[in-house]
Amino acid sequence: MNDIGEFTLLVALATALYGCVAYIMSARGNRIDLYLSADKTPFIVWACVMISSICLWKAFLTDDFSLQYVWAYSNRELDTFYKVASFWGGQKGSLLFWTLLLTTYMLVVYFQNRNKNLRVVPYAMAVMLVIVVFFLFLVNFSTNPFERIPLPPEDGRGLNPLLQNYWMVIHPPTLYLGYVGFTVPFAFAVAALISKDLDDGWIRMTRKWTLISWFFLCMGNLFGASWAYVELGWGGYWAWDPVENAAFMPLLIATAFLHSVMIQEKKDMMKVWNMSLILLTFAMTIFGTFITRSGLIQSVHTFDEATLGYYFLAFLFVIIAACTALIIARLPLLKSANELDSFLSRESSFLFNNLVLLGIAFATFWGTIFPIISEAVRGVKITVGPPFYNQVNVPIGLALLALIGIGPVIAWRRATFSNLKKNFLKPVLAGIVAAAAMFPVIPLGNRAEIYTYVTFILCVFVLTSILTEFYKGTVSRMGLKDESAVGALATMTWRNKRRYGGYIVHIGVVLIFAGIAGSQAYGTHTEKHLQLGDSFEIRGYTIKYEKLIAVEATSIKTRIIAQLAVERDGKRYWTGHPEKEFYKGQNQPVSEVDVLSTWKEDLYMILADFGEDESATIKVYVNPMVSWMWTGGWVIAFGTMISMWPDRLEQRRRLDRVRRQEQLFPTPAQE
Amino acid sequence: MRTLKLLTGLFVLVWALAGQAPVAGAGALLQDLENQLMCKCDDKCGKVLINCTCATSDKTRAKFSKMLDSGLTVAQIVKMQVDEYGETILSAPSKFGFNLTAWMTPFVALIAGGFGVRKVLQSWVGKRDGIDSAEAPAAESEISKKYSKRLKDELDGIEL
Repeated sequence: MNDIGEFTLLVALATALYGCVAYIMSARGNRIDLYLSADKTPFIVWACVMISSICLWKAFLTDDFSLQYVWAYSNRELDTFYKVASFWGGQKGSLLFWTLLLTTYMLVVYFQNRNKNLRVVPYAMAVMLVIVVFFLFLVNFSTNPFERIPLPPEDGRGLNPLLQNYWMVIHPPTLYLGYVGFTVPFAFAVAALISKDLDDGWIRMTRKWTLISWFFLCMGNLFGASWAYVELGWGGYWAWDPVENAAFMPLLIATAFLHSVMIQEKKDMMKVWNMSLILLTFAMTIFGTFITRSGLIQSVHTFDEATLGYYFLAFLFVIIAACTALIIARLPLLKSANELDSFLSRESSFLFNNLVLLGIAFATFWGTIFPIISEAVRGVKITVGPPFYNQVNVPIGLALLALIGIGPVIAWRRATFSNLKKNFLKPVLAGIVAAAAMFPVIPLGNRAEIYTYVTFILCVFVLTSILTEFYKGTVSRMGLKDESAVGALATMTWRNKRRYGGYIVHIGVVLIFAGIAGSQAYGTHTEKHLQLGDSFEIRGYTIKYEKLIAVEATSIKTRIIAQLAVERDGKRYWTGHPEKEFYKGQNQPVSEVDVLSTWKEDLYMILADFGEDESATIKVYVNPMVSWMWTGGWVIAFGTMISMWPDRLEQRRRLDRVRRQEQLFPTPAQE
Repeated sequence: MRTLKLLTGLFVLVWALAGQAPVAGAGALLQDLENQLMCKCDDKCGKVLINCTCATSDKTRAKFSKMLDSGLTVAQIVKMQVDEYGETILSAPSKFGFNLTAWMTPFVALIAGGFGVRKVLQSWVGKRDGIDSAEAPAAESEISKKYSKRLKDELDGIEL
């Protein structure tokens, strides 16, 4: 099986190379024979990578330690669940997994578009194949997951205990789906540049891909935060680690793209800007991979054998140079009318939204690379950690939150004073009422608390502005169609999926902002060394240490569990079981926290240490509003689903447009 | 007015960048210290001390707690750590010398971007105004003005 896996990777590389050349030659020379031949390559490449992946999965599931990669990331005692996830636990497998996702996406694109737009699609397929070739080159010649050990050991080294968490099965694939997904709009953008087919066709063809990739990247970031929260045992969820930043930056740039692209669709403006944004988003996904795999920047996420940095750096330079040259070459064709009716308009607010999003992305990028700059300029390596990002990004983030509230209520084209007064009155009033209501009850002792206060006010302002939009639309529909409130709301949302789905996503973002603000400013924690039967109080909870339990979970894993009774108002409320897990051959034990999560706050318990006399050191955090963030994530998921749902009306409108084009121009429009 | 705007902007920037005033109390002081320093464990975990849960971080915390009890201030302990390990022990760049560029650059870029966006918008709006004035008839009748105003008011009420 391993030989098959290795061989199919080579076949995939050769086929991808052929497909890439054949697609380009067929498009340039109008060679239909070559096109038909090239058109088989996406499926062959995907099939080869899939076979190779199945071979690696089989090696994991059958404990084939003759493979160095399986030996390094698995052992006989590992749960099947984690054996499946070990596939992407290390550098070699994760690159193969990336390639598998990329070829799967490519296959879907191929089936979706093979009979459409023959000017753009061959180039798009060629661009995707170039990227596939890069990854296949790496997995074949630099990080081959099928590398053998001459004398196979009896057992493997095992998966890093920190990775033995259910999020390991969910978080990396979700993040990769986001990262890899941006290859599709990127490929179509480059294809549009090469083929000079620079209307908004490539945007329409890839809109859903952009949205799906954005959604996965967003959820990947949130899942990562959730994993850090329950696994790392420090009571937090985001540490501004370089690799977290690397996943955050493309999300910000893609968000800017999702907004500015609406202006191109509506007004045929900002073509160069949108092109640049999607190219930058893709470049950032490669930059993130470079950080994880270069070892250049210290990070908790860096792979053990981080030696691939220079390949990714070279690839990044090639992409940036080639795309910049292409954009410059096509500048005359990318020129658009670029006219606005008024400075005060939704278009302007989108531009400022882009500015702020890119501002946060730049600040994050700057903080991430500043240690390298400092070392190069002064010869002194410094650290840029959370205090920097919190101080720089929080004020910019607040401006972004305000813009989320302004965007929906400001009119397209031109906002007049009467229009502004009418639309802003309720949200602003709600913000003022919220500010007055919270002022006496919210502590404002330090800057974090003041920021939180401002965030809450802005959250109320934004929520009111969005809900007002829903209310206005529903009431107007009820008047016109004689529908019930729920029916009118549902029909209105269903008939304007993109718009109202977007608003729901914004509600999710507001919940995330509120959750971050609440948990950062009003949390508290304590650490106590306790004997059996001791108790202590924190924020109205009485926590009593009841017993210490030792469990031999497997031959290599021992669990030490502290049982803690949580009482409120003299009644038993909950029983917490934080634990430490000891793995044979590992220096550090792993903390498994226990969390009682409510809408108001999380009671977060960690077993920090224990003694032979059954004493235990317990850390307890009370983190307010953390669950708001996770709820916000699900709201975003719901909103994105609505936005992405196929829209018959939109399809009909598109068909009408094509028909009109056909009447106007003698050549049939390609759609 | 311009000067006032500039001063307000500067005040907000300085306030945002100013260091967090430490809250009194032994626990808060230790927390402040942990927030300013990185963990120096053998695994090179790359975490801020306050976020680290390794054995080294526990020992460091105990050591710092004793140092604070002995009367040393947070600033003194931080200086001792920098002298021992170099600037890399700090969780964020200092706010003087070359390191100041770390703090200022994002805001400078944002302000420059803001001016850029404003300029772009002005040119786009100017283009439209130019077209409008070129296309406008020499003398707009009273009736036309009346209907234009009515149309504008009605358009204001419509959300596209």
